[in-house]
Amino acid sequence: MRSGAFEVRDDDGELIDRLGEGDYFGFLSLLSGEKVCNRVQILEDGLVYHLDPDTFNYLRGENRHFDRFFNRAFAKRLRHQGRFKAKELATTSRVSTLMSKHPLVIDSSSTVGEAAQQMRLVRVSSVLVIDNHQLVGILTDRDLRNRVLAEGLDGHLPVHQAMTTRPKTLTSSSLVFEAMLLMSEHSINHLPIVDEGKPIGIITSTDILRGQSSQPLLLISEIERQDTVESLIRVSKQIPLLLQNLISADARAEEIGRVLTSVTDALTRRLIMLNQQLLGEAPMAFCWLAFGSQGRQDQAACSGQDNGLLLAHAPDEAAEAYFEALSKSVCAGLDLCGYVYCPGEIMAQNPQWRLTLKQWQHKFETWVNTPEPKALMHASIFFDMRPVYGTRSLFNDLQDTVLANTKGNALINDIARVYALSAGIKEVNTAKRIRQLMELNIINRKDGLNLADAHEFIAHMRLSNQGYQDKHSQEITNYLKPQHLSSLVRHQLKDAFKVVHDAQSGIKLKFTRSF
Amino acid sequence: MIPQLLKSQLCWRAFRCRSEVMRRYHRELMAVISQDISQSKLIALDLEMTGLNPNHDQILSIGLIPIENNLLLLDKAEQKLIKVDGGVGQSAAIHGILDKHLQDAIDIEEAISWFLEKTLGKVLVAHHAPLDINFLQNAMSKTVGEPVKLCAIDTLAVERRRLLRKHDVLKEGSLRLGACRTRYGLPVYAAHNALVDALACGELLLAQTAAIGQGESLTVAELLAIK
Repeated sequence: MRSGAFEVRDDDGELIDRLGEGDYFGFLSLLSGEKVCNRVQILEDGLVYHLDPDTFNYLRGENRHFDRFFNRAFAKRLRHQGRFKAKELATTSRVSTLMSKHPLVIDSSSTVGEAAQQMRLVRVSSVLVIDNHQLVGILTDRDLRNRVLAEGLDGHLPVHQAMTTRPKTLTSSSLVFEAMLLMSEHSINHLPIVDEGKPIGIITSTDILRGQSSQPLLLISEIERQDTVESLIRVSKQIPLLLQNLISADARAEEIGRVLTSVTDALTRRLIMLNQQLLGEAPMAFCWLAFGSQGRQDQAACSGQDNGLLLAHAPDEAAEAYFEALSKSVCAGLDLCGYVYCPGEIMAQNPQWRLTLKQWQHKFETWVNTPEPKALMHASIFFDMRPVYGTRSLFNDLQDTVLANTKGNALINDIARVYALSAGIKEVNTAKRIRQLMELNIINRKDGLNLADAHEFIAHMRLSNQGYQDKHSQEITNYLKPQHLSSLVRHQLKDAFKVVHDAQSGIKLKFTRSF
Repeated sequence: MIPQLLKSQLCWRAFRCRSEVMRRYHRELMAVISQDISQSKLIALDLEMTGLNPNHDQILSIGLIPIENNLLLLDKAEQKLIKVDGGVGQSAAIHGILDKHLQDAIDIEEAISWFLEKTLGKVLVAHHAPLDINFLQNAMSKTVGEPVKLCAIDTLAVERRRLLRKHDVLKEGSLRLGACRTRYGLPVYAAHNALVDALACGELLLAQTAAIGQGESLTVAELLAIK
């Protein structure tokens, strides 16, 4: 293309490439000899130089650089296209790329009970039955249900009586497409891969699904199946690919964040479980907390870890050692899986963030009520907390106290606190803080008065609401039902919130980095 | 009405011709004239001259690029340098052709027979065509030995008509080849080389016909009629 702007789209109208000056199209078919199936849409008229196949091939033969240039462009386009077209995989790749190698095998003389134990151990849904190294059958979960349990038989039944004999098989060089065909034809989910009569692998419908794209659900279920930290780390290498796929599928940022966080949660849970298998039962109820981006469920690529441990009561020495060992190995595992250590040391392996419910409650009260230099950072990290693993009731207790402290006028308190901290004002009371801030000309008089009025108004509304709740013997909360307000009061409340919102924007402008 | 007029004009010219070469030349053109522009054979041309007066000045260089099916055939593009009486003089400042470049140049007679061969059955296209046509007619008349009349699609005239539909007054320089090309988003080329200018003119015509056509058919005769 000498000038202009074009778009390349495939049969289905999916965008493959955008072209401008110096770009080229059609070379795919010239190189592969396949018929043209992509379409070029003209966004802006342009000049195009046209090379016919003979000239193109002549130039490739004559000039190494020319040939290499277009081969590279070809590879690049394929990579580009691969992102959009995972389905192509079925027609081009071999089952050997997707199958599980070293399948679980069992001798035909074993009992179904033994087979079931083996399957439980390896966490698979099928076992290949061999006789003298040759495949003679396959035993699946379904067989155990239909031919053993439903028949009222027990685990002593020999495997060869329950298995499916002479199962459908494929060789390792078969196409994934053939595997899909065979599975759907016979409505089966497991296909042994056999070379020269010997089973060398097994491919399941899940394997094929996984091959289609790195789906988050499959990744999570894979995480849950891993038995060692090493294999977890290996699985976690797929996370960047998952992110890639999500981005190329045009998922919204919020969705991506939630998906990635679910994966992180699964990974964290699995790490805790694996380490607990080594360390034994926990000496008391505990809850693994996630803070920051994991807490807010908006993780992105290369997020760090922010976590902590919530304990039911004060640990003795042995319990302390247990939780230290547990949190250290879990944090180390997360680090190896790509979630780097928190630079601020906000991690469960730091004894400072391995606290009892009482200690956590105290921490939050301190942050809310007294200005501490790190309070801002802590507020932004800790207030976004979520339980990942453990006893949820512990977390609920903690959250209740936190909310009790921060609801209602929390926003105005925050705003005043931020300004007060930055100006070094020792005052704690919000109304007084605002007054001082006006006197020091840190906020202008009009904004200050507005904020103070809004503060007063919201506080008043809360109190009168709680009075109402008390009078009608309802549970006393910080929640206000808008339908209980007159329209005049509702307008005033809206205006008050507007003042808060404006002040927040002001803070954003002034302290973007810290708020 | 006008296409028929053009056709009878060509017919008359062919009839009047004494030379066999020119008779054939006009007859071949008659077949093309009523065709759709996108299916006809055209040839974009540009000349470099020693000056602007067809009666005194001489052709220095001819650039030709055939157009078929709306494609410019770059591999069939050709350019000839032509010997002149005397030197290139001050005009060298415009086109950059110096006397020493003309050592291997061909005679004007040879150039004209080459031109007739290359453009046989093809409609000429030029920017500000009357000037180039006048020079060619003069040179041909001398070679063939009788007055010659040529016709050509003038991209400048086409552009002027298109512009006048939108504006009452045209700004100075707005019909120059480069200015016209910019209007269609065509790239900037170095001017005053016969071959490059022929290419530039050919591209401009394709852009113009695409803009005029909007899917409707446009005949060669309709374009030739725009003066």
